[in-house]
Amino acid sequence: MSDILIQAENISKRYRFGVLNANSMKEDLLLWWRRKRARQAAVDPKADSHFWALKDIGFEIRQGDVVGLIGKNGAGKSTLLKIISRITLPTSGVIRGKGRIASLLEVGTGFHPELTGRENILLNGSILGMTKKEIESRFDEIIDFSGVEAFLDTPVKRYSSGMYVRLAFSIAIHLDPDILILDEVLSVGDFDFQQKCLAKIEDISKKQGQTILFVSHNMQSVKSLCNTALYLEKGKLIAQGNVSSVVSKYLLRENVYVHGQKFTDKHGAPGNDVVRISEVEIRANNHAVSGPVDTQAELAFRVSFWKLGGGSSLIQVRITVINFLGEGVFSSISEEKYLPGGIAESICQVPGGFLAGGSYIVNFAILANYHQVLFEYNQGLSFEMKSSTEPLAGAGRWPVPVYPNFPFTLH
Amino acid sequence: MWDWEVKRKQRWFRLGIRELFHYKDLILRFSKRDLLAGYQQTLIGPLWIIIQPLLTTLTYVLIFSRVARIGTDGVPPLLFYLPGIILWNYFSECLNSTMNTFQHNAHIFNKVFFPRLTVPVSQVLTSSFRMMIQLLIFFIIYGIYMFNYDLSVNSATLLLPVSLLLCAGFALGAGLIISIATAKYKDLDAVVQFALRLFMFAAPVVYSSTIIPEEWKWLFWLNPLTPAIETVRYAFFGSPALSWSALLISMTSVMFLLVIGLVVFKRNEVRVMDTI
Repeated sequence: MSDILIQAENISKRYRFGVLNANSMKEDLLLWWRRKRARQAAVDPKADSHFWALKDIGFEIRQGDVVGLIGKNGAGKSTLLKIISRITLPTSGVIRGKGRIASLLEVGTGFHPELTGRENILLNGSILGMTKKEIESRFDEIIDFSGVEAFLDTPVKRYSSGMYVRLAFSIAIHLDPDILILDEVLSVGDFDFQQKCLAKIEDISKKQGQTILFVSHNMQSVKSLCNTALYLEKGKLIAQGNVSSVVSKYLLRENVYVHGQKFTDKHGAPGNDVVRISEVEIRANNHAVSGPVDTQAELAFRVSFWKLGGGSSLIQVRITVINFLGEGVFSSISEEKYLPGGIAESICQVPGGFLAGGSYIVNFAILANYHQVLFEYNQGLSFEMKSSTEPLAGAGRWPVPVYPNFPFTLH
Repeated sequence: MWDWEVKRKQRWFRLGIRELFHYKDLILRFSKRDLLAGYQQTLIGPLWIIIQPLLTTLTYVLIFSRVARIGTDGVPPLLFYLPGIILWNYFSECLNSTMNTFQHNAHIFNKVFFPRLTVPVSQVLTSSFRMMIQLLIFFIIYGIYMFNYDLSVNSATLLLPVSLLLCAGFALGAGLIISIATAKYKDLDAVVQFALRLFMFAAPVVYSSTIIPEEWKWLFWLNPLTPAIETVRYAFFGSPALSWSALLISMTSVMFLLVIGLVVFKRNEVRVMDTI
């Protein structure tokens, strides 16, 4: 059994709402005065209310674990990372740990825009807890990985945002701490660099046995990188342990399916100057959907949108269905039509017995003249398919995204 | 068995000196950053370190010596004002930069852990560097004046480090306490700025301590800046007086303030992050 590096017991964190966060002394004095008078008068209960960002969280992280921390926005993930990183204190409970933690809650913390790339490597490395010797010994690796060698002696304020992120991430990934904490850092940077970072994280975790705590909304990277996971919901720890069972629990429990959306305000609806979405909906066997859909049901994806501005152009609608791991399942494109201004509707029908059991997301795109994307409405719909006849594989998920009824004989 | 522990209750008496020593590279790096970045895209860059006190001195010579005719104990006015201004600048720069530790670094403190004390200490270091250069300029000007005036240096020069430590310790101790307060109450900053401006006139910066009425002298000399500045003046001009008792009292009180500052800072450095 490997060493326990972090042990958290009954961690709770309480924040205050409203005026108690007042920053000026005058407001605080007013509050004090109001409280004093409140002994006679009725007190507004809301003025003094608190909320628990975290409640009784307990877990252990062992040497070599790669832990995924998942949960919706506002579930308390960042608060937990901040407490582990010793940036803020818990209201109650205790976290004990061994070794050096390096937390990367943000890319490029402490970068100074006026300083050169070289100076910033030295500065940022020291802020993240490296000694001068350590930074110097890894200097070449950092530059190599970042690919900004030619700009080393240029102030970072002249860097493109991509270069900035690459340099910052390179420093952090070469830290060599006992525990590395990463908060959604991979959501920045271009796709290629993200892949490179994921590969690097995988490399240091698998080859060097690096212990990592990793926050992400991308279930695919959580599943491929982590061996265990913690699932937070509204400040409570809902599940922990084996990564695939925790991720499955997250997907099922959060029940984040959107079966339809309607926007009545033509100016506030998602879209731009040319196109605005009015309604998206999924129907099964021509009925509105309210729960899991049988895999044999015929599906219809419907989108209606306002086409704004004058002139008519050749319009097409494309839908792309992806699964909850972010992998594409299929795309389909509509017939093309010249549309004048006004409201338009497009329906894509998918025969029953095509999609396998699992959870899916639908992205819509409105195109003009075959290739020009007018607007993309991503994650407009999501739904779950369930098979009533086929045996289920794994934790309710099929290993394949489609399971079509092709002519398939057996004699 | 554990290396560290995070919980609400903290040990109340901690100075955090050992931790600070581990992060000495970071302190130096912060100082270097401030020195390097401060003079990027400026016309004359680090020359400001020298020009600023010289301009202030010239202004004081004009206003306090020529117009207001405040005596300088027979010392050439230019020479008389310079050490006071250098020491006062050193004190106020240290205080000004340390008292805003949390306000100015909230974005970093919110994302990375490192001993927060590294920031104010590095600020003092940066100010010390500037002050050293200014002192060097003072020595040069003093050297030039030696040809024309009857000036002699005495053994009190050896007390120069004590004077400098008094200024730095006073500023750091007060700055640490104020930094915790301004983290919660931003407008305290304005109050302190105003108080600081008045406080300059409570120290012998633009006048000599000899003009203080006898019955108020005891209070005047309680200000650690008074013995700090007057000791330097005594060392280089032989006047007005060297007060050993005032030096000892100031050293004790500054040491006391510094320890309180460190304890208050250490106790609250993480806690204030919720209110900033």
